[in-house]
Amino acid sequence: MAQNVLPQPVQKLINELGRLPGIGPKSAARLTFYLLRAGDEQALALAQALTDLKQRTRFCSVCFNITEDDPCVICQDDGRDPTMLCVVEEPLDVVAIERSRAFNGRYHVLHGAISPVEGVGPEDLRIAELVARVDGGQFSEIILATNPTLEGESTSLYLQRRLTHPGLRLTRLARGLPVGGDLEYTDEITLGRAMEGRQAM
Amino acid sequence: MHITHLSLTNFRNYGRLELELPLGPTLLHGNNAQGKTNLLEAIFYLATTRSPQADQDQQLINWEAAQSEEPIVVGRIQAQLETQTGLRHVEMRLILEQSQSVQRGRRSFRREVLVDRRKVRLMDLLGNLRVVLFLPEDIQLITGAPSQRRRYLDMTLCQVDPVYCRHLSEYNKLLEQRNALLRQIADGTGSLEVLPVFTERLAALGSQIFIRRAVFLAAMSREAQRIHYEELTDKNETIRLNYLPRLEDSGTGQGRLLSELVHVGHWLQEQHDTANAVEKRYREAMTAVRQTDLARGSTSVGPHRDDWYIQLNGRNLGSYGSRGQQRTALLALKMAEINWMTKTTGETPILLLDEVVAELDEQRRALLLNYVKGASQALLTATDPAMFTTDFLRQASSYTVANGRVQIDKIV
Ligand SMILES: Nc1ncnc2c1ncn2[C@@H]1O[C@H](COP(=O)(O)OP(=O)(O)O)[C@@H](O)[C@H]1O
Ligand SMILES: [Mg+2]
Ligand SMILES: [Zn+2]
Repeated sequence: MAQNVLPQPVQKLINELGRLPGIGPKSAARLTFYLLRAGDEQALALAQALTDLKQRTRFCSVCFNITEDDPCVICQDDGRDPTMLCVVEEPLDVVAIERSRAFNGRYHVLHGAISPVEGVGPEDLRIAELVARVDGGQFSEIILATNPTLEGESTSLYLQRRLTHPGLRLTRLARGLPVGGDLEYTDEITLGRAMEGRQAM
Repeated sequence: MHITHLSLTNFRNYGRLELELPLGPTLLHGNNAQGKTNLLEAIFYLATTRSPQADQDQQLINWEAAQSEEPIVVGRIQAQLETQTGLRHVEMRLILEQSQSVQRGRRSFRREVLVDRRKVRLMDLLGNLRVVLFLPEDIQLITGAPSQRRRYLDMTLCQVDPVYCRHLSEYNKLLEQRNALLRQIADGTGSLEVLPVFTERLAALGSQIFIRRAVFLAAMSREAQRIHYEELTDKNETIRLNYLPRLEDSGTGQGRLLSELVHVGHWLQEQHDTANAVEKRYREAMTAVRQTDLARGSTSVGPHRDDWYIQLNGRNLGSYGSRGQQRTALLALKMAEINWMTKTTGETPILLLDEVVAELDEQRRALLLNYVKGASQALLTATDPAMFTTDFLRQASSYTVANGRVQIDKIV
């Protein structure tokens, strides 16, 4: 419809933005016209950021987190416990765990979870790399920190079957009550698990 | 428990309804196609998150509202409840929304649930409001497909046992995953190594479902048998409920499978809470049908293929019973459901009776109305109030339903 009215570069950006998740044709058009009116600086900074995103980042060849340098800063950090490995689904999970300051070992990022319905199997994830890393490594404990979703738990169970080395401790995060939550409003499953994982005091 | 106030917005033929509901029995009368059944359906939907007939949820929204040009249309059922544990407000929203990712002109549908005006998960609505519904179509529980009987199990159990409901929902998702994997393995894209993960998890969850269904059906069988024998047939006829758990898939003829499953059902009912034995047997059954599953691309054993049936004097009521015998057994089943819910939760469920009184002879009618009087709240629909005794009419509140509006005649 509007194709013959709008200059091609404008239409092209609308189309590209419209392909992003959560952005429909209307938002795409609004963002495009915003950038058109904004100063050159802002549009160029965005363009540069997009270029850098692809050109200056890569996956760490050890842990598969996103990084500028390979290996990443975490993998290069000698101050970290080399016997502890935390397996997560996504790079953002690393960020979350780092923020907690509760863990000082190494990571392994799977880049997803097993979900046949979505066509994701072990071969689509960094699982072979994990197994090789554990085989050749010096880990004494592996924390399976996948999400407490059906997919995350299936992945965790699968890893449990694959990582069977004598002397290797496999653990997973405790499932507990949310801090600041209300016992009365906690669902039975969460409460049940919290009860199972109760601790002496 | 009872509802003190019901409010409907754009639900079926109700544009807007604000309705006070009294304790005790209330008669909803009016001509056909005025909204009597729709009102009961709204309450049932709020109790179970499902429509009694397997309709699409979207069709519950008032048609005219749904066809309007508004970017967002909301159908709403709200109820103020008084229960043993205090006052509670529950709300279900049916939302049609113009979404950007969906093609122009098409709208996405979603549901929202609020308990005490806090948004919660759909499942968290269950257990707040408990009802027993009587519909003329209930006869399909006896004559219809296994899926209808599973639906009955699920909707009844879910109102009382939230853990069952969560297990069921997780089970269904895992089942979908396992079936997708089986198909992928068949076409060479799936990994056989992953299969045991889903098999194990299904076995763990499925055992819980098997056990809970077995316990439920055993209790229901005892109670329905008692009611049927003592109250409905002058100690002449005996029914029992037989559970047919799909813990096995012999694949050798219906007759043989049936009797085998009856045995498995009895075995299950003897296991009580020992999930281990059930899980072990279930796992063995899964192993036994692994090749079949791979060939079919679907999971052949598990509670998703369960069934149950009513036996009358030793025979299958669905195949051998007369229409009259089927109706009598059904009444016993529903009355047993009321007693089971009351016993399990400590309070009477709300009774919703749609046109059922018309089908009963005088003696049965009197008996059913005793249950109605025993409940803290009951809603009965009828086109013709004359079928009730004057005695009952004196004790019941009365509302007239006409074209999506409700008028209060009298409150007792
Ligand atoms: N989504 C809907 N929007 C508007 N009207 C509806 C909707 N679904 C059903 N109806 C109407 O509701 C009426 C049936 O109401 P119902 O409660 O079954 O009547 P009855 O009083 O006989 O029990 C019919 O006229 C039907 O067209
Ligand atoms: Mg009706
Ligand atoms: Zn790294």
